[in-house]
Amino acid sequence: MSSAQAVAPDAVLVRYGELSLKGGNRRHFENALVRNVRSACREIAEARVERVWGRLAVFPERRVESVARRLQQVFGITSVSPARTVPSELEAIVSAAGAALEEALGDWPPEARIPFAVRTRRADKTFPLTSTEVDAHVAEQVARDPRLTVNLSHPELTLGIDLRRERTYVFARRLPGPGGLPVGTLGRVVCLLSGGIDSPVAAWMAMKRGASVHYVTFHSYPYIGEPSKKKVVDLVRVLARWQPASSLTVVPFAKIQETIRDHAPAPYRTVLYRRMMQRIAGRIARDRRAGAVVTGESLGQVASQTLENLTCIGAASELPVLRPLIAFDKEETIALARRIGTYEVSILPEPDCCTVFQPERPVIRGRLEECLRAEERYDAAGLADRAAGAAEQVEVA
Amino acid sequence: MIAAMQPIYLDNAATTPLLPEVLEAMRPALEQHFGNPSSRHPPGVRARELVDQARRSVARALDAPEARVVFTSGGTEANDLAVLGLARASGRRHVLVGATEHPCVRQAAAQLAREGFEVETLRLDAGGALDLDDLAERLRPDTALCAVMLANNELGSVYPLRHVARLVHARSPGARVHTDAVQALGKLDLSMRELGVDSLAISAHKVHGPKGSGALLLAEDAPLQPLLPGGGQEGGLRSGTENVAGIVGLGRAAELAERAVAAFRERAAACRAALERGLAEIPGARLLEPGASSEPVLPMIAAALLPGAPAEVWMHHLEARGIYASAGSACQAGKNEVSPALLAAGLRPDEARSVLRFSTSRETAVADVERAVEALLEVAQTLESVAP
Repeated sequence: MSSAQAVAPDAVLVRYGELSLKGGNRRHFENALVRNVRSACREIAEARVERVWGRLAVFPERRVESVARRLQQVFGITSVSPARTVPSELEAIVSAAGAALEEALGDWPPEARIPFAVRTRRADKTFPLTSTEVDAHVAEQVARDPRLTVNLSHPELTLGIDLRRERTYVFARRLPGPGGLPVGTLGRVVCLLSGGIDSPVAAWMAMKRGASVHYVTFHSYPYIGEPSKKKVVDLVRVLARWQPASSLTVVPFAKIQETIRDHAPAPYRTVLYRRMMQRIAGRIARDRRAGAVVTGESLGQVASQTLENLTCIGAASELPVLRPLIAFDKEETIALARRIGTYEVSILPEPDCCTVFQPERPVIRGRLEECLRAEERYDAAGLADRAAGAAEQVEVA
Repeated sequence: MIAAMQPIYLDNAATTPLLPEVLEAMRPALEQHFGNPSSRHPPGVRARELVDQARRSVARALDAPEARVVFTSGGTEANDLAVLGLARASGRRHVLVGATEHPCVRQAAAQLAREGFEVETLRLDAGGALDLDDLAERLRPDTALCAVMLANNELGSVYPLRHVARLVHARSPGARVHTDAVQALGKLDLSMRELGVDSLAISAHKVHGPKGSGALLLAEDAPLQPLLPGGGQEGGLRSGTENVAGIVGLGRAAELAERAVAAFRERAAACRAALERGLAEIPGARLLEPGASSEPVLPMIAAALLPGAPAEVWMHHLEARGIYASAGSACQAGKNEVSPALLAAGLRPDEARSVLRFSTSRETAVADVERAVEALLEVAQTLESVAP
């Protein structure tokens, strides 16, 4: 906490939202958040995490900026600020404020007019000045840049000062977090992942609401090759940034598709494939103690995703089927996929198992009794058991 | 005479020996996974996975975006690709280069000048540090690129790239900042994100990796024009079938180097101190200061000004005693040219020819340097007795 450290930020202040509303569960949520923050920092730097007044203060050994950006990918966090910590003495605070301001001004063009404010939170009531007095003093000392104009109601650049007895945090930048709830606080789900754009986004949305996700993909080898499987692993790797650990079950699916091709009416193939996927997902969910199956289905997005077909598919699941994208337009999903980082992987032109034996005219309004009748001609439960049993596990760090 | 003993290699800024751990990591790529990473069968997919994994290792080691690591044939190609590729993709005409850049950067800039770019060389101040005021004055709205090395290969100076990047981006929005980090890798705690540069070049063989392997790291939004027309490997930025084993070696070497930075710096500082103590006993000899700067220097590189004979003579006398150092950097050795870096640091041309560089590696012990010091003292006496 010397003045030398004030040259660069040495901590990251972490703000979280909804957690504080969760009453008796608050402790549980905070513990999960601290765990997830630690885990996210690990690959960048050793970091100490302190809980301070409904916030977290993270002290990375190095690479503070990268840690701050990394924490923008931890659910439950509403915003982060790279901060300079100094002893709670006016002179040290002014010096850190000057450095923080200078750094923040580097992001503004030379001719900008920047509405500016200083906001002090004074938890240390023994400090000789009130928070308003600190605001005024610091502003007078550091706001020398001609581009700055004091504007207390609508500042675009806010210099924050959190004055504590043990130390003071000074910061001028606030990076938005993803919101949501810490992954792991609301149970576990199984997510059906294809190589497409939608299912990774659906998985991300489940994580956003605090569920930890186990991924399941269906691999129709040798109708499709290894690059398709690798693509799904790559998607899981991108998604793995949003939860502490990820694993993927790769289920062999060719035998099932051959059976359906040989025994069921062609138009029903896609719906019947998906019913098998639900059955297998149910078995994996049971092993993994997951409470729901998440899919990337969206109403009316492709011919197979009509209300009737979704009903046929969902009826094969022993667990609730969650479809976070049900009301999304394709453009909305794409925008989210870009933000998450999965879009660039999803658009690589690799086939997935749904294209195998694709009928020319798939059924649009499937009927459950037709599905059940078709399934009388093969051992759906047995096939599902065998496929789940033969699945391969991939752990993704 | 100590020539019968194991020789001591103190030219690690030129190149370093391959570490057994790096060789082990490369072995499967050479012996087993011979596939072409672009092939779609399992041997191809395995090779692709090795390349991807190395990309992650490099990105993580340098705190850079993974998707924008471009593997190259080494530091020279990485620097050329950055200087030519960023400038040509910019649509602008003005280029700034540092005063002590490696020849690849200077020559790439000269190529740009032949293509009609206006190229200016940045000034150093009297202490040998980068003159930031000079840089600020030279920046223009049509500045395409500013290329400044992170650490100097002759003096061990470290340039304030963080300030350079902020200054360039604030004064000339859209201008790109490239840094040659070939000497800095493994010797400084390096974070591309914290530096805020648009591109950064590294090489494997300076950190106990294989020769013929390097990378250009790009910021998320930096557009680049490729140099080689071809099959579009490396995201279209570097065509040619990937050097899988070399890439794996770079990944492992970068990872190991990054982990060892703090220990290496401490050890190198002790080595440098031992050398400095030794030189104090030779009248007229001294270590050159790496330049006045607030940045930490590279203690691994020690440039010694030696009296009485050209550095080349000292070098051969030392080598006869099993001590390998370097008169001038390997890239200039054998040429009659006087180092611009040494001149920029304020040396006279005759002095610049009397500079011998000692560069240590993670494997160099203080005892090795002490043996080198003994040899230096012997050579000093020999040269003194033959002097007129």
